[in-house]
Amino acid sequence: MAAVSTDAASVHDLHYRFPPARAYRLNRCLFGLKSDPEFLARYLADPKAAAEAMGLDGDEVCDLLAGDRDALLARGAHAYLVFMAALRVRMEREPSDFEYF
Amino acid sequence: MALVGAFACAHTPQLLARPGTEDREIVLRVHEAFGRVKHRLEALRPDLIAIVAGDHIEAFFLSGVPAFAVYVGTECAGSFGHYGYRFPIHEPVARAVLEQGVERGFDLFYTQDARLDYAFYVPLHFTMPVPAVPLVPLHVNVYLPPQPTPRRCYEWGAALGEILRGRPERIALMASGGMSHFPGTDRYASPDLEWDRGILELLCEGRGHELAAVTGEELDKTGNVELRTWITALGAVGAARAEVYCYAPSWHHGNAVVEWPL
Repeated sequence: MAAVSTDAASVHDLHYRFPPARAYRLNRCLFGLKSDPEFLARYLADPKAAAEAMGLDGDEVCDLLAGDRDALLARGAHAYLVFMAALRVRMEREPSDFEYF
Repeated sequence: MALVGAFACAHTPQLLARPGTEDREIVLRVHEAFGRVKHRLEALRPDLIAIVAGDHIEAFFLSGVPAFAVYVGTECAGSFGHYGYRFPIHEPVARAVLEQGVERGFDLFYTQDARLDYAFYVPLHFTMPVPAVPLVPLHVNVYLPPQPTPRRCYEWGAALGEILRGRPERIALMASGGMSHFPGTDRYASPDLEWDRGILELLCEGRGHELAAVTGEELDKTGNVELRTWITALGAVGAARAEVYCYAPSWHHGNAVVEWPL
């Protein structure tokens, strides 16, 4: 087993960071894509309009639609929400790519 | 001694819905290990499964982020893609865990109305014995800092084990999660398989209690934030030696299935 580190964590070094309040609407939108099938359907029909309806500003909408993970993380998006929102969108857009068990 | 079995299972959704990027052979190896768990559960004949999982920001978004939660009530349900699922809850044990947990000093959150995350569903999709049994779903916050410390998870698991052993029902305990993976980060393609293997060796030696001393920072650095669910189970099983049913890492995920024979 690796040596146990006793250093205090710097939150900026963590992969999974505290979601800053400034990113609340962005994270709520990602949560909607991940967990709200009705919102996901609206997003698939019109991504820009759905994202704007969640209160995202122009730059956030741009990064979301571009799937720019690093830009979204820099804005305070939670890494897991970015990951699963993208996967859920892909599962809907390309369902034949999956083998279901 | 009403705790009749203890397991830890991977739950990565690619085991359920396999995209072309996943090696089919690896997925099937994990399914085979899940099959062994199912057979063991059928042999152990539990009355219920107490399952400890890390919510993937599904039941608990930013309106409330509990460290530990108990699902109480009559049933719980959720969905993932086109998979919909619903399970009965073993209400007497769920309430006993909640009430006795609080009595023992753990300020548990409870819910009668939260969606059940796929972290609970994926292993049960493959391992639920026939006939099926109800659940006691137990949540640990693994993804939203500040998460409970590994030591606190271990302590909660120790209390949970005592509560379950005090019940008249036959109870199987299952931890869902892990091992190393970094979804949504630039480390996604670089899981820390060496760290995983070191942990599995330690578990096979019955030294799981040492994981209580790992820091939250180390879990994050090694892609093992979800190991908090295993550490909770370890609190309950103590020095039991693990049997590793499989460690089948993919290019992004250390898939492991483990039993602690009790």
